[in-house]
Amino acid sequence: MKISEVVEKTGLEALNSWEDEDLAGVYISDMVSDIITGANGCGLLLTLQTHKSLIAAANLVDVGAVVFAHDKRPPQDVVELADKAGIALFTTPADTWSYAVKLFELGMR
Amino acid sequence: MSTCAHSWSMTDVRSGYLVVEGCYHCGARSSFFSTEPVVPIDEYREGPHFWEHLAGYQAVTFNLRCDTCGETVDLRDMMGLMLSTCDDPRCEVGRLSLELGKKTSIYVALCADSSHATGACVSDVGVAALTEYFNQRLRSGRRKIVVVPCKMCDRIDRCKGIVIADTGLTEFY
Repeated sequence: MKISEVVEKTGLEALNSWEDEDLAGVYISDMVSDIITGANGCGLLLTLQTHKSLIAAANLVDVGAVVFAHDKRPPQDVVELADKAGIALFTTPADTWSYAVKLFELGMR
Repeated sequence: MSTCAHSWSMTDVRSGYLVVEGCYHCGARSSFFSTEPVVPIDEYREGPHFWEHLAGYQAVTFNLRCDTCGETVDLRDMMGLMLSTCDDPRCEVGRLSLELGKKTSIYVALCADSSHATGACVSDVGVAALTEYFNQRLRSGRRKIVVVPCKMCDRIDRCKGIVIADTGLTEFY
């Protein structure tokens, strides 16, 4: 599924500029040490964490897009780091579980 | 020398704490990985050093195993990874970053002894396997990953980068 399709169907707000690409799956985690061991390349990462370390981990394992639940918004320096890494950032007012259900209903696994 | 085109996977993944200590006598820094249920914060004397607790981060350690030939690379000498943001031409890592450009991300493999007083650091074999492993996980083609040992940094305690650790205070400036 394309990022654009997920954005449109789940009502995401973009926090930086992004290029459309296929998302290979979903990973949900708030721990960067877990992300580097478990997340897959080109996947969507759903999280509450908004610090730089998250981008450093997401970049390492080639995460395609990060969605911050609960309307969380990272500071500007984190957005700039994501821009450099080419990682799309989005926020949703939904809590993690509710947003995960939306992704599941879209057929994402 | 192996002729296998390794296909690496993480193995022996251990959760615990990356504990950073500093010697208030000489200023040296040291770190170790602890699997204790709580972060060890004891002060103690070790030879000429007086170690005190500086920080503790939730972290994982792992080894790499080749799915094809079964070779395992022991990475117990690696305490963590740091995304380098160094662009200092006086630093070898900074120079490498400038040379490789924006499409390559440099990650510094951090060893236990940032002063490198003994000359030891993360092994060359480990660094090479980490580079292969993380590039094998890339799917997008957006970037390449290069892992370097922390001894390549001009001064690791002043090196600019973002340590991958579960804490809010993860930056060395």
